[in-house]
Amino acid sequence: MNRRSDTWLAYFMILPVVAAVLAFVIGPTWDVGTLSLTSVVMGQERGFGTLSNFRALFADPVFPTVVKNTAIWILGGTILCVMTGLAVGMFLAIDSKMTMGLRAIILLPWVLPDVVTAMAWKWMLHGQVGVIGDYISRMGLTDGAISFLGNPDLVMWMLVIVLIWRKMPLVALILCAAIRSVPSEQLEAARMDGANGWHRFRFVVVPNIAFSLTAVTVISMIWITAEFTLPWVMTGGGPANSSQIMSTYIYQQSFQFFNWGVGSAMSVVNLVFLMTVVGLYLYINRRSWAAGGNS
Amino acid sequence: MNPQPRPLYWIGLSIFGLVIATYVLFPIFWLFLASFKTTGELASLPLTFWPVAPTIEAYTALFDTTSQSSQILNWPRLISNSFLVSVSSTLIVLVFGTLAGYAFSRIQFPGRDLILGGLLISRMFQGAALLLPTYRLMNNLGLQDSLLGLTLLYSAFGLPFATWIIASSLREIPFELEESAMMDGASRLQCMVKIVLPLATPALITAAMWHFVGAWSEFAFASILMESSDSKTVTIGLASFVELFTIEFNRVGAAASLVAMPIMLVFFFGQRYFTRGLLAGAVKG
Repeated sequence: MNRRSDTWLAYFMILPVVAAVLAFVIGPTWDVGTLSLTSVVMGQERGFGTLSNFRALFADPVFPTVVKNTAIWILGGTILCVMTGLAVGMFLAIDSKMTMGLRAIILLPWVLPDVVTAMAWKWMLHGQVGVIGDYISRMGLTDGAISFLGNPDLVMWMLVIVLIWRKMPLVALILCAAIRSVPSEQLEAARMDGANGWHRFRFVVVPNIAFSLTAVTVISMIWITAEFTLPWVMTGGGPANSSQIMSTYIYQQSFQFFNWGVGSAMSVVNLVFLMTVVGLYLYINRRSWAAGGNS
Repeated sequence: MNPQPRPLYWIGLSIFGLVIATYVLFPIFWLFLASFKTTGELASLPLTFWPVAPTIEAYTALFDTTSQSSQILNWPRLISNSFLVSVSSTLIVLVFGTLAGYAFSRIQFPGRDLILGGLLISRMFQGAALLLPTYRLMNNLGLQDSLLGLTLLYSAFGLPFATWIIASSLREIPFELEESAMMDGASRLQCMVKIVLPLATPALITAAMWHFVGAWSEFAFASILMESSDSKTVTIGLASFVELFTIEFNRVGAAASLVAMPIMLVFFFGQRYFTRGLLAGAVKG
C-alpha cells in the first residue's frame, strides 16, 4: 500500500465534513465575534473596533434580570437534572421487569420535539384550563386557578421543571448504565463487612460512577445553555422579561428588535461561557481524548 | 440488589415506578387525547381525561384548505417541507459521514484525532449564539427562506455526530477482512462498498435515525430563516399556534400529535439502534 496516497485519500474523504463545519460553525463564530466589535446601526455596519455593543448590553436594564434568570436556568436546571437523574437512574438499575419496561419508555420526553413539549406543558400549566392548576385547586390547596407562567416569581422555576422533564431521562439512563457496571463483588464484599445501604452507595457506588457523574453534569450544563426553543415557545421571555434568559434575549434582540449590536455582544458572552464549560469538559475527559477519542 | 426481597420493599419500588411512568407519559397522553376533544370540552371545568365525544374534527380542520387559517398555515405543505429537508439532509449526512467515518477509522493520517475531536466539539456550539451569524451567512449566500439552504445547514450541523458514530463502529470491525481483500488486489473503494458497508449497516441506521429526529424537530434556525409561508416547516407551524391558545386547543393537540408522530415511529421501531447510538455517543455532546 502506498502510505502517501492514503493520506491524501483520507484528507479528500474528510474534506466535505471539515468544510461544512468550517462554513457553518467556525465561520459564523468568527463573524459574530467581529460583529460584536462593530458598531451596527439598523443593520448597517459602521466602523470596526468598538466596545460600544458590550457597553450597551451591560447598560441594558434587562441585563441583570437576564443574568439572574440564566443562573437559575443553568445552575438550577443542571443540579436538579443530575440529582433527579441519579435517583431515577438508581431505581432503573434494579433488576426487574418493571424497570426494564421503564428503561424502554423513559426516553420519550427526550426524543419528543421541543416545540411539542413546550406546547404540552404550556397548556398543562395554563391559568384557567390547565390540568395542573385544576388538580391543585381540586385538592383544596389553593382557592382558584394559578397562572404558573404568568407569575413573574414562579415562571423561571416552572421552566426549570419542564426542562427537567425533558433532559432528566437521558441523565438517568446514562447513570443507570454506570451503576449497573459497578462490580457486584465489591457490593457483596461491602455487605459482608456489614455496610448498610447508604454506606454501600456512598463508598462503593459513588466512587465507581464518579467519572460518569461529573461528565454527565458538565454535558447537561452544555445542553441547558444551548436550549432555546423550550423557554422561547413557552413564555417568549415574558411576562415582562421575567423569564428572559441568554438564548431568548439573543433571539429577541437580534430578530425582534433588530438590535444586532447587542444581540451579537450577548452571543459572544454566550460563546465564552460555552467555551469555558467545554474546556472543563475536555479537562475532565482528557484521558479518553488522548486515547483517540474512542471511549 | 437486595438478597431477601421484603414485600414492603417491592411495594415501595412499584409505587416509585408508577410515579415515574405517570410523570413521563402523562403530558404526552394528555396532549394526544386533547386532539380528539371538542373546544367546548377543553374549556369547561372540571376537566375530563378521556374525550366525552371523541371527534377528529381538529385533524380535518388542519387539512381544510378552504378555511382562513390554512391561508397562513398550509399543513400539507409544512409536512412535505419538513420531510423533504429531513430526508434529504439525512441522505447527505449518510454519504459524507460514511466517507469521513471510513477515513477516520481506517487510515492513519496526521492530525486525525485532533480533527475528529474538533468536529465533535463544534457540535457543542450549535446553539442560540450562532443564530445571528447564521442568518447573516444565509442572507449573503442568498439561501435565506430556501429549503436547500436549510437542508445544507442541517447537514452541516449533523455531519460531525454521524461521522463519529460511523467511525467508532467501523473501529470495531476487524481490519483483517479488508487487508486480505486488498492483498488479493481489491481497491479501497471496492473494500468499502463490498466489505465494510454491509457490516456497518447498524451504525448507518443509528446515524440516520439520530439525524432525522434532530432535523425534523429543529425549530430555532428554521424560524429565523424560513419567512414565507411556502417554505415553513412543521415546528414553525406548531409554534405559531401560540396565539390560538384556549380558543382551539384541540387543533394545537392535533398539530402537535402530527409533529410527534414520525419521531414516535422512529423511536418505537428503531429503539435498538437508537439506544445504541445514545449510550455510545450522547455524552460526546
